Amino acid sequence: METAPTRESTMTVDVRAPYSVRVKQALEDENLRTALDRATERLSEHREQAMAAIDAPRLRDEARAVRQFAIEHLPDLLEELERNLLANGCHVHWARDASEAIGAVLEIARLRQVRDVVKSKSMVTEEIGLNEALERSGVDVVETDLGEFIVQLAGEPPSHITAPVIHKRAEDISELFQKKLDMPPTTDPAEMCAAARQELRNEFLLADMGISGGNFAIAETGTICIITNEGNGRMVTSMPRIYVAIVGIEKVVRSVEDAVLLWQAASRSATGQNVSVYFSMSSGPRRNSHPDGPTEMHVILLDNGRSRMIERGYGDAALCIRCGACANVCPVYREIGGHAYGQTAYSGPIGAIVTPLLEYDVTFARELPFASSLCGACRDVCPVKIDLPRLLLDLRSDIVDRGAAPLHERMAARAYASAMRKPGRYSRAVRLARRFARLPLLPTPTNVWKRTRNLPRFAAKTFRELWAERGQPTDEEAAE
Amino acid sequence: MTPPPPDSSTRRVALFVTCMVDTLYPDIGMAAVRLLEAQGADVVFPDAQTCCGQPAFNAGYRHEARTMARNFIDVFWPLVDNSEVDAVVAPGGSCVAMLRNLFPVLFEDDHEYRRRALQVAEVAFELSEYLVDVLGVDEVAARFNGKLTYHPCCHLLRELHVDSQPRRLLAGLQDAEIVDLPGADECCGFGGLFAIKNAPISTAMGTRKVRNIEASAADVVAVNDVSCMTHLNGILQRQGHRCRAVHIAELLASGLDGNGADEREHDDR
Amino acid sequence: MISDAKEPRDAILGRLRHVMSGPKPIFRNAAAPLEPPDTPAAVTGAQGDRQALAETFGSKLEDVSGSYEIVDRENDVAGRIVALVEEWSEARPIEVLSWAPREIPVDNLESVLNDSGISLLVPEELHREADRAHAARLTVGLTAVDAAFASTGSLALAAGRRKSRAASLLPLVHLAIVPMSRIYPTVEAWLASLRRDEGLGSFLRVSGQVAFVTGPSKSADIELNLTLGVHGPRIVHAVLFDDSVR
Repeated sequence: METAPTRESTMTVDVRAPYSVRVKQALEDENLRTALDRATERLSEHREQAMAAIDAPRLRDEARAVRQFAIEHLPDLLEELERNLLANGCHVHWARDASEAIGAVLEIARLRQVRDVVKSKSMVTEEIGLNEALERSGVDVVETDLGEFIVQLAGEPPSHITAPVIHKRAEDISELFQKKLDMPPTTDPAEMCAAARQELRNEFLLADMGISGGNFAIAETGTICIITNEGNGRMVTSMPRIYVAIVGIEKVVRSVEDAVLLWQAASRSATGQNVSVYFSMSSGPRRNSHPDGPTEMHVILLDNGRSRMIERGYGDAALCIRCGACANVCPVYREIGGHAYGQTAYSGPIGAIVTPLLEYDVTFARELPFASSLCGACRDVCPVKIDLPRLLLDLRSDIVDRGAAPLHERMAARAYASAMRKPGRYSRAVRLARRFARLPLLPTPTNVWKRTRNLPRFAAKTFRELWAERGQPTDEEAAE
Repeated sequence: MTPPPPDSSTRRVALFVTCMVDTLYPDIGMAAVRLLEAQGADVVFPDAQTCCGQPAFNAGYRHEARTMARNFIDVFWPLVDNSEVDAVVAPGGSCVAMLRNLFPVLFEDDHEYRRRALQVAEVAFELSEYLVDVLGVDEVAARFNGKLTYHPCCHLLRELHVDSQPRRLLAGLQDAEIVDLPGADECCGFGGLFAIKNAPISTAMGTRKVRNIEASAADVVAVNDVSCMTHLNGILQRQGHRCRAVHIAELLASGLDGNGADEREHDDR
Repeated sequence: MISDAKEPRDAILGRLRHVMSGPKPIFRNAAAPLEPPDTPAAVTGAQGDRQALAETFGSKLEDVSGSYEIVDRENDVAGRIVALVEEWSEARPIEVLSWAPREIPVDNLESVLNDSGISLLVPEELHREADRAHAARLTVGLTAVDAAFASTGSLALAAGRRKSRAASLLPLVHLAIVPMSRIYPTVEAWLASLRRDEGLGSFLRVSGQVAFVTGPSKSADIELNLTLGVHGPRIVHAVLFDDSVR
């Protein structure tokens, strides 16, 4: 990930700073919390209503089943997809990692003398740092999703999987537009939106290349599906001469019906819509005699850690359809927002899982799997029924097994386990702890606790002591 | 207090007191015992029990957690297997969730312990779940004078799916005025090691919860897990609020003999 | 990179095949049914005869900030289109970005429009800069639909010869002509009928792009405030008529 704030950024969270600094910066930003509160609450409410209106358990079961089928049959489906894409007249490229994907895009741009690129919102291009690479090669890149356009103007990375500018209040955006687009002051979203439409319309008409991600890639028909509400997805896939879709290999699905099911699951989960405004299914370049549409369509199938993630037994994480519902209900995300997750395209609970997993070393971003209270709200809303707390727990274990936990923590865990292993040791440990609790110098964890919270005292007598005094035999005594 | 004479219908319950209740809140353990005995259950306390291993498990220390979980199974499984007890009951949902949902994960590669864990889990219940679902209790003879609200602890709500049971028992408290808690389903921010490792976020979440408790105008917020209770009281006290989090066992047992909880509660204020 | 794409391909597929054939489970939690349904159930539903479906379609379209009307007599449809186009167009003479008239199943459409002084721009090559700039200036886009889905208020628009994508995308107003015979209860019902008849795969292939459009273009990116007409049309108006009584 190479997305970084430029100097003009007003963002308070520095995605390059260490984790504890990012969290601190986020928690100190009251405007950020206002923006997050307003948005996450409403998105969650809308999702709840949309799910209550249908047979949600069945939708989730079926969505899970079709995604699970896709991952279980990934190599076969990918070959089928490739075959049908080629039959449809697409160029197919395979990329093991970010640099191969970027290389493929740059090569197309060079061969076709591309100057201007329009992009529709795509997390995978954030993941590989495509914009920066294109710009370094002298290609002009414009983000066309309104939210992405705003963060690009601000020189910031997006902070949410589906709502990139969720961290900004209307006031903040207005200020930005005044500065960058010479717009008079307004907090009317319609006026700001109109300004963006005007600004971006020319870009659509001028660009030589459109780049999108892909929500689903249908193996059966060789079709790339894009979900948008603004219509920029349709623009990007229709107006420029060259269309490039960069698609994670896990996005493949079996059939059109499966894609249409997941489209509805994603729409309801992301924003509470029955369906998104646009669902664009591109199966190749425009046909002879068609008046518009790209004359050339490329599909880049990107691995970049996905096959390794599945190899590690985390196929569950590959089921994700990137709806962002887990972030919207996450009490941690709500406090710190997406930038606190660092230099990653994926924030919130699923981000805390896939960010380390997509790396070669799972101890990369090792704070993230611990940035959860394991409350389980995310699991309850996931449209493909990913057991996110379970994956977080497993990742924590992997990180500890790699010896990547702090030494004092490892020692404490060992001592605790040792004390708890036998009742005799346990009682001694309790007595010891009770005595030490009276000393002014407490062990570190309690100091951390006490900075913001009162600490309970050890009881004068433990339950087992009270129980013994009660004169009832413990079962051990009874057995003697 | 003498329990009713055992007969064929008497339930024999092994109390899994949990390590936090044992060392920090023994009165809650005693309240749970009184509640169970008042319903005619025979309570035994296997005193070789220590900790189920959840803190270590959640922190990623599976080896250590397994050590503790084995001890737990060594203590409780024989009682269950020999039919010496009908149930294992704990005054908290989080530890029950550990043995019901996570012991099978912990013993994935240990067939025998996995089998035993599942056998224990089958008869393991959180206190309010046991009272309502198994003993069929609808109402206990207890009163609470004031405004009461309920915070559903996450593992109870989303791991065990226990919610109506405690609410029903609390609704039966005489004189209690039950008030709504805004954002009730949101986590209080405890989360075990999370409260230490991510103390600033944990505190922010707890502060949000406490604001909602304040907005509910409740005198007491009832909870089923002492971990969340400790977190909430830590923040309520530090931020100078009058309201306190009280464990459901103490509220429900307040009408029974030998109650020492009330005075402690008053001390706090 | 384009030429030596073979190597990454084999590496990726090889690794996946290796993983899939190995003993290690790839999922932590396989709680869901293992076999997906052959045809997933329809998520939404709509019932009734064509009139009922037409009304459901209309009300669902209204729910997402679109609008509709049902024209009772087929002979009145062309006149109604003229009236709507005149209402929405500011510049005179009026020019409308359109699908070819023969793609719009309304009798006498071309002659009625001509009589009213409305001309249609049916683009043949929108990659020519001048044509594209011209098309982008027009306010109203006129299309038929390949299908419409009652339960969601959606339009299915397939690209084709003289069926530009631009007509439903560039103008501020999209006027969609929907004969009731093309309204299906759900998207799933339409997919099923395509599978039965001409074949879903070939339909997608010859179209190049098929888009489902459900209401006007919108964004909620600015603090979840709904704004319409971000990149696509701000107004989507459907004119429905019963085409069975020919």
